[in-house]
Amino acid sequence: MSWCLRQVSQCVQKLWAPQSQQVRYRYHKDKLEKGKLIRRFGYEESLLQRGLLPHVDGKKLPIPIYEPKNSWTESKALFGQNDYIDILGNENLHPTRTHYQIASWLRGVKGNELQVLIRKKKVLGKGIFPYSNPIKWRNINKRVKYLYKFMNYKTNQFVVNKE
Amino acid sequence: MTQRNLEFLPKFEKPRQAWVENLDTVEEKKLGLIDLHPNVFGVMPRLDIIYENMLWQQKYRRVEYHSLRTRAEMPGGGRKPWPQKGQGRARHGSIRSPLFKGGGVAHGPRNPTTYFYMLPFYKRLLGLTTTLSVKLAQVVDLLEIPTEGPKYLEDLVSERCWGVSVLFVDSVDIMPRNITAATCEIGHMNMMPVYGLNVYSMLKHEALVLTVSAVEEIERKIIYNLNRTDAKKKEQRFLVNQV
Amino acid sequence: MSGIGRTASEKALLMLRSLPRLCMQNVGPNPHAKKVRNSRHRGQHGGDKHGCGNKGSGQRQNWMRLGYETGNTPFYLRFPHEPYYKGHHLRRQYPPLSLMQLQKMIETDRLDTSKPIDLAALCNTGIWKFTPELLQYGVNLTAEGANEFKAKVNIEVQWATEPVIAAIERNGGVITTSFYDFDSLWIMRDPVKFFMRGEAIPRRMLPPEDAILFYTGAENRGYLADPEKVSWERLVLSQKYGYELPKIEDDPEYEMLCERKDPRQLFYGLEPGWVVNIKDKTILKPLDPEVKEFYKT
Repeated sequence: MSWCLRQVSQCVQKLWAPQSQQVRYRYHKDKLEKGKLIRRFGYEESLLQRGLLPHVDGKKLPIPIYEPKNSWTESKALFGQNDYIDILGNENLHPTRTHYQIASWLRGVKGNELQVLIRKKKVLGKGIFPYSNPIKWRNINKRVKYLYKFMNYKTNQFVVNKE
Repeated sequence: MTQRNLEFLPKFEKPRQAWVENLDTVEEKKLGLIDLHPNVFGVMPRLDIIYENMLWQQKYRRVEYHSLRTRAEMPGGGRKPWPQKGQGRARHGSIRSPLFKGGGVAHGPRNPTTYFYMLPFYKRLLGLTTTLSVKLAQVVDLLEIPTEGPKYLEDLVSERCWGVSVLFVDSVDIMPRNITAATCEIGHMNMMPVYGLNVYSMLKHEALVLTVSAVEEIERKIIYNLNRTDAKKKEQRFLVNQV
Repeated sequence: MSGIGRTASEKALLMLRSLPRLCMQNVGPNPHAKKVRNSRHRGQHGGDKHGCGNKGSGQRQNWMRLGYETGNTPFYLRFPHEPYYKGHHLRRQYPPLSLMQLQKMIETDRLDTSKPIDLAALCNTGIWKFTPELLQYGVNLTAEGANEFKAKVNIEVQWATEPVIAAIERNGGVITTSFYDFDSLWIMRDPVKFFMRGEAIPRRMLPPEDAILFYTGAENRGYLADPEKVSWERLVLSQKYGYELPKIEDDPEYEMLCERKDPRQLFYGLEPGWVVNIKDKTILKPLDPEVKEFYKT
């Protein structure tokens, strides 16, 4: 039976063979005109595929409400006043002496943590500070002791504790 | 023409000139020309020097007070939380260790952190002269305006195309009443005595308005400092306890 | 407006007029002015040493203690104690000023020869200075440039040698060596600073034991020496060095050349016990006889 079918189909193919031709676009323009190839028709993406945007269907991420700041408040508008007072004003008054907002022992001080702490200790140690703030005073001493060892034994920057 | 006797005038430079204007009417009236010293109002505009001065002003006063406690500064934590062996738990020696929630911080900020440094005296002086030259200030005769309201001053500034923010500088501490009341209500118009003048404020404000007496005071001080004989004393290194 | 005939700064300022107005946002450092430190490299060099070197204490950051020499006997223990300079930190120093420098100061109008020159005048030049905290007790006038020295001065120094004295006296000048104690040195270094403190001018102390011989010696022109012996020594020195001693008595500036300080006095024209008020430019003198007596002795 199958042999007969095969024989018949071979005969038909010999008699009539239809010519199949692949569709090719002559120009790139024609391809674009036809539109994008549709894949997975009917499927909907639940996530946004592009960019760094968050989900739009859910809740928005919290963003603080923008409040423009006043850049002309008194302190900002007059920032830097008296920084040249030794040139334009009193010659003997150094600008660091006008830093009233900074503690007097910290005006014009520069250094690493240990150097600043040693200065703090030297200035505040003479007054009431050790008695009024005993825990803070103890912590300063502990920190100085630790940093002194650290700087002089663990690093190659040596700090002298001048008492 | 306001005649002025300029001292220490350089040989091959002419004085710079500016119009002297009035403040008592909204419309501009030119009252005369004023000679400005070329070593103060006509130096090379070096923007890097201005930048250095501005940066110094922002930094040298800065102190950070943020601080976090280390394990040594926190209360407690002396006791071993659980035995070394036998519990099936990780070994620990203190509940204030940086590994613990509620423990100390290992490399946190420590206060007070200062950012202080001192710009050399003559670099600061150069900063002032450079900024004054670049700004080429408006010179007025007096800071007298007829009314106390801010409206007049705003009209005047927009009429003369000075910009938005204006810094008025006079040689005295106590300024005229009307302009004080007017600038009090406008944040971006400010007044300063000569000794308060600085690079940062000149940059922050769009226009700089100097009175004739302020110009004279500024020139006198700067020319004195440029030509002083004991300049070496001013070039000394900053020492914290000796200023 | 053409730029011809203008200075560079004028041209630059003219250029700026066509640019936006200067503000905080458009100033900045010069290009390449700031060095960017890139110790942490990227890519295939990310695992390198980051400038710490290869092996050793530098890389492992376990530095040796100060003075340790990896097993050698340290330098500070290697030699026995040899106190050649024992007590050197207590000895007085006299920083030098040569006659050449002095001549230059006079020629450049930093010193006024119509008035006596002392330590305060030298400090006022702004060129020569001394630091009392290093036990520098004043000026040592040295003989360098003695042949070129031509000025006629009345000078007071703290240390001088024979050729220096000869060089000054040959020109008709006068030299004295005098001692200032430690507290007076600070005052002489910056007199205005002292006057601003509003304190009374103190008495000058007498020289210490080891310096008394020098300052009483007429051959050193010491301020405590006998004036008659000094004039004799002037003559002796002129004959030794072979110059004719100019007669001070005939000099038109005789009064200036004869001006000397009292051994207790710090400044010319100001006596101990007086207070100088810089602000009002007045001098306040003590009236109390007890105070007067104190400062007199």
